[in-house]
Amino acid sequence: MSAIAAPAAAMPAMDRVRRDSRSLVRAVIGSSVLWMLAALAVWLVVVGTADLAIGLSAPVRFVALPAGVAIAVMMGWRTWVRGRAARSPQQVALWIEERVPSLGFALVTLLDDSLTSHHLAARLETVVESREWSEPVRRAALRALAIPAGVLLGAVVLLLLLPHASVARVARPRPGDVLDGWTPLRHRGSILTPLVATITPPAYTGRRAETVEEPVSLVGIAGSEIAVEGRGDASLLHAQLGDSAQRASADGDRWRVRLRMPDKPMALRLGDGSTERLVTIEPYPDSVPVVNLRIPARDTVLRTAAGTFNLAADASDDIGLAETHFEYIITSGEMEAFTFRTGTLQHNAMHNERHAELAGTLALATLSLKPGDIIHLRAVASDGNTVTGPGRGASETRTIRIARQGEYDSVDVDALPSMLGDTAALSERMLIMLAEELQKRRPHLSRDTVVAESRSIAVDQARLRRRVSDIVFMRISGESSGEESEGDTTKAMTPEQVLAAAESAATRAGGNPLDFSADESPVIAVNRPLLEAYNAMWDAGRSLEIGEPADALPHMRAALAAIQRARLAERIYLRGRPPTQVVDLRDARLKGDRSGAAGSGRVSGPALGLAKSRMAARLAVATAIAGAAPLAAADSLLLLRLEALGSWPAFAGAASKAAADLRGGAAAAADLVRARSALLGEPRHVTGLGAWSEPP
Amino acid sequence: MSPFTFATVQYESGDWDSAPLVPSNIIDTIARYTTIELAPSGIIVPLGSPDLARYPFAYLTGHLPVRFSDAERANAKQWITRGGFLFVDDHNHDVDGQFHKTATEEIARTFGPLVRLPSSHPLYRAFFTFEDGPPTTSHELNGWGDNLVHRYLDAVIVDGKIGVLYSSKDYSSEWNYHPQNKKFFAVDNTKFAVNLVVHALTR
Repeated sequence: MSAIAAPAAAMPAMDRVRRDSRSLVRAVIGSSVLWMLAALAVWLVVVGTADLAIGLSAPVRFVALPAGVAIAVMMGWRTWVRGRAARSPQQVALWIEERVPSLGFALVTLLDDSLTSHHLAARLETVVESREWSEPVRRAALRALAIPAGVLLGAVVLLLLLPHASVARVARPRPGDVLDGWTPLRHRGSILTPLVATITPPAYTGRRAETVEEPVSLVGIAGSEIAVEGRGDASLLHAQLGDSAQRASADGDRWRVRLRMPDKPMALRLGDGSTERLVTIEPYPDSVPVVNLRIPARDTVLRTAAGTFNLAADASDDIGLAETHFEYIITSGEMEAFTFRTGTLQHNAMHNERHAELAGTLALATLSLKPGDIIHLRAVASDGNTVTGPGRGASETRTIRIARQGEYDSVDVDALPSMLGDTAALSERMLIMLAEELQKRRPHLSRDTVVAESRSIAVDQARLRRRVSDIVFMRISGESSGEESEGDTTKAMTPEQVLAAAESAATRAGGNPLDFSADESPVIAVNRPLLEAYNAMWDAGRSLEIGEPADALPHMRAALAAIQRARLAERIYLRGRPPTQVVDLRDARLKGDRSGAAGSGRVSGPALGLAKSRMAARLAVATAIAGAAPLAAADSLLLLRLEALGSWPAFAGAASKAAADLRGGAAAAADLVRARSALLGEPRHVTGLGAWSEPP
Repeated sequence: MSPFTFATVQYESGDWDSAPLVPSNIIDTIARYTTIELAPSGIIVPLGSPDLARYPFAYLTGHLPVRFSDAERANAKQWITRGGFLFVDDHNHDVDGQFHKTATEEIARTFGPLVRLPSSHPLYRAFFTFEDGPPTTSHELNGWGDNLVHRYLDAVIVDGKIGVLYSSKDYSSEWNYHPQNKKFFAVDNTKFAVNLVVHALTR
């Protein structure tokens, strides 16, 4: 069509260009949308065809649709970017000038903002009015829409021609849909491929069923239900879990084997007469609740059965708690004549919470306790396991003992060792502060004042030393005190006697660790830090008596450190070790009457190292056949995994990964190397062979 | 190879040392009937100590409730998994007693479920033959404790082998006497201990 021959339009040139710009923008937007849809449809056709031919794995299919959407968006964006110039009237005018050369750039010049001559503008408007360009605009808009629409139409036709299941597997993938509809071409010929397994956890867990395609290992909580499915005639299938045959049921064109998660890892063997496939079934137990008793924090001994104990604990479970409570056992008696009472406190019904805080009180007066009774106290939590449980978890046990009448001396030692030590520590710390203060003020004080204040501290130091002496000598002798004290002169000892006794005790314990050992009384071991404190206090007291607080301070600090060590001796097992009984083996050897002995002697079982060597040898065989027979190698690795799960978990993990790789046709070398390293350790580097030596 | 050392387990709760003469008595018995290289005295090893791994066989008993600490539980579990053999005997000989209740609960929690050991188990033929399973103790026959004669022992099986052997028969009372006093018995009542040790060493 000739643009010059067209009748002039009455509309001004600028309005005409803007009208065309809007038409072209609409065409570009439409084209972008069509290209997006076309690209997505073409992508689905390509992926669907690939799935039809080779059967794409679930992970690939799950990313296929998002990838297609991304490609479509990119395509639409690209179309829009290429056509975005249609928004500019100047760009549209240039585009028109290109297609209507007879305009002679009159249109572009007319739209130029720098044009100021009205006369020239009028002449150009006249030229432009005589030209028509609506046809090129219309054709361009049609072409922009027709091409992507054609591609979209073609792709939709191809999608309709593809099996619906293949398209659905790509467009709406879900685990297990590999069994739906069309069987991929490469999977034809065996009813064992494709294979789908669904693990349904017990209802009490509240967990969803999990579907796995092409399973190598099925891992699930004990009590789970497992359904293994494939396509084909159920009568052809042979299934065996461990030594027990499993029955396959038919469901349309599928076969299905249902089984319950076994108690221990086992291999599920599936066969169709010509091929065999192995799947390991690996249960893991529902963990019992973990309970921590926070209060009371330690064992204790009480003089009387009075008062109230606060109780606090926390419990947690991997799935959910059903109930919590505190439990106590009261033991009365000794040796063979024990009686027991049990009871519970603070029952709390839970609603499958994974964490709980327990709190309560224990009133001792309500328990009718007698001297010598022991309360064994703990917190208990149960989970909601209705299959193998309920799992019951308990905290550490705390014991609260009511002292007997004749053991008050030892009560102070083993029940509350830190209380007396604490008091001493605070007092010694205060004396140190006083001495330091005195030493700081010393340059400004007269000698008499220094001596007077120092002797005042020395008096307190001596009083504290006598208290430590009481503790020390209660432990050594069982008597209340070894040093003179106010109001008690009958057992008075001179300071030299006390020191000699203390040094003697310390010397006996010297060189041994704080915790007692076989040839040492536990009393002495516990005393040693206090004896050190006692000696240091003597030295400090002497310096303070002569008005030298600076000389006293190191000894006072040493005493404080020793008291701190005594405080840290928390748990003291007061029962002594039984005497060592030595048997005269030479006298006893083969003196017994061996009648009745079994005929054949027993020999040692295989060492653990040998079992590992055998496993390594089997791994080597599996590795050797991995290239030629990857499926057989995968099965061998799975059997090795089953055996290694308990003893060598790292090896079991690597073996499973290698088996999955081999079954999926991927390279398994790295995982085989990892498996070997997990079993036998990393290869050793040697610098070379020694002359005439065996290989290392 | 180091000689066999009889290990008594010390655990934090309860009275682990309630049968102090059992170790020397069993050592004497092993020497009387076998040529196994032996340490002349037993050892006391804390259940939570890594030293436990140095002994293939350990003996645990008591009257009082048993509660393992987390450290004891973890160490014992590791020891059993690596081939240790723990013989647990109820010194109360009472299935209603607190030792039985708490010890079996603690064993199940730590090592796994206890299963009944049949009389055909190789343990009963490891050295001497005990056709009827574990030998009866005088404490059972006297009607003490739970007034029952327990026909079977229980065990936690680890990799097809006994990891923990549990007895309600009170061998701790039966064998808790000085070995010199064996001469007063017409039949040595400690022979089953030989089977325990030999089986533990040759599983």
